[in-house]
Amino acid sequence: MTDEHLDRLVRDADPYRPEIIQRLGGADQHLLEEIMSTPKLDSVPARPLRRTLVRQLAGATAAAAAVAGIFATSSLWSAQPDDVYAGPTGLPSVGTAAISGRELDLKAAQEHPRLLIDEPGWKAISVYGFAEENGSIEFQNGDRSLQMNWYPDEQYQHYYDDRLHVSKPEVTTVANRPASIFTYSKNDMSAMLEPQDGTFVELRTGGNWTRATFDEILTHVIKVDAKSFLKALPPEIVTPGDVREEAAKILADVPSPPGFDVSVLDNAGANDPYQFGAAVAGRVTCDWIAEWIRADSAGDHQAVKQAAAALRSSHQWKVLHDMNDEGDYPEVVWEIADKVADGDVPKWYKDGLGC
Amino acid sequence: MSSEDRFRHVYAGNFEALLAYASRRVEQPDDAADVVAETFLVAWRRSADLPSDDEVRLWLYGVARRVLANHHRSGIRRERLGERLRQCLTAVSTPDPGSEVPQRLAVQAALRRLNDTDREMLLLTVWEGLQPREAAEVVGVSPTAARTRLSRARARLRELVGDDPHAPGHVLDVLAVPVPKEGR
Repeated sequence: MTDEHLDRLVRDADPYRPEIIQRLGGADQHLLEEIMSTPKLDSVPARPLRRTLVRQLAGATAAAAAVAGIFATSSLWSAQPDDVYAGPTGLPSVGTAAISGRELDLKAAQEHPRLLIDEPGWKAISVYGFAEENGSIEFQNGDRSLQMNWYPDEQYQHYYDDRLHVSKPEVTTVANRPASIFTYSKNDMSAMLEPQDGTFVELRTGGNWTRATFDEILTHVIKVDAKSFLKALPPEIVTPGDVREEAAKILADVPSPPGFDVSVLDNAGANDPYQFGAAVAGRVTCDWIAEWIRADSAGDHQAVKQAAAALRSSHQWKVLHDMNDEGDYPEVVWEIADKVADGDVPKWYKDGLGC
Repeated sequence: MSSEDRFRHVYAGNFEALLAYASRRVEQPDDAADVVAETFLVAWRRSADLPSDDEVRLWLYGVARRVLANHHRSGIRRERLGERLRQCLTAVSTPDPGSEVPQRLAVQAALRRLNDTDREMLLLTVWEGLQPREAAEVVGVSPTAARTRLSRARARLRELVGDDPHAPGHVLDVLAVPVPKEGR
């Protein structure tokens, strides 16, 4: 029997009946909507996107993913008096806050003590959101990086189940917590710690790893208190105590939308300059677009012109030029801002900017 | 294209292929709904980093293969999605007269006796219409190993069904189900 003969026998034994597709009565569409109504999980590391990565993704959505989660309102700042932003020079100083910046930092950090790598050579290169239940910190040492992502504990089972599609879990212990190792490839692994104090942590490799080096580094991952964690952050990381000062610098050449409230820049966690810049520039852009939409529907031509001019001015904002070497968020802002200024509000602008 | 639009596009372009893939590999027709639902759920959760259009179907087959492995292991559904599809598949799955043909039953029984990976290589090639190198990607073996497995699967199957020149004759032709074009 030839291979062709044999294959034909196998083909004839195919149990699938294609006519079934005509008889689904919309069940396929129903399933699609069911699936899309479930929450997505972070599968792309939330960090400043490097150009190479962004080029592979839909730019706008990727940019939103880079800053997702940093616009959440925090109870820490909402307890502060309302500060209405009065323009680039009207920003309240840090000294007017009820407690000092350093105390703010500590208060924010104490909620969720964090993990560090207790081995020389590792430097935090990207951080955001450590005071929230969601957050991320990435360490680098030579050609290896290790990202630690925090999630609320109620999401643990979802993530765990999802990772079962990656590989079989292998049980280990990290920072005195039971953990599961998942293997993406021989150079790419993750370790998911069981939840504790309301969150769980997932560590994910990047760069030149082997299983042996990964196992070895896991023995150096330690849980630290707030002071140690803050001390380990590089000085350029924006922590809560720095927010007003750093925001004021960014907003110096950025036109302020009507009623812009600096408290929406609430930033109880820690962010690297890219993430913080995206938070500030994104917030301002979102507000100007909302103002353009309002003015357009109200027939307020003067306000439409003003909003369009403000959006076009984004090409001159220093913060975006400073960020431009590191990721594509600025290009997304410019693309959306130009479209809106030309009278076309992209449906996806909120996703694109993280509004 | 937003990631939502991309996902809809991927779903529309691959739903039937995945339904066929799952239907061919489950005992009960409605179990295919679980496999399809869970496979696309994984794709949805990863929609930000789905492979390009010309790679995505192989990737989905790979996911479905792992979903099936878990399905067989646990025998329980983890998600309650796809209930309507499940009911629908149960309702429309009337017995196929062709399934009772002894030769088909014999081939199916023989296929079940192959090594899992060898069988999957053969089925991906014949039922899903993949090139051997594509099937190799789905099952995660090298192209060289894939050729070996494919050749071994055919040799073993030939032994099992008997080297019968009773080649597919008119009966099978009449009852055979057209193989859907997989577009690859």
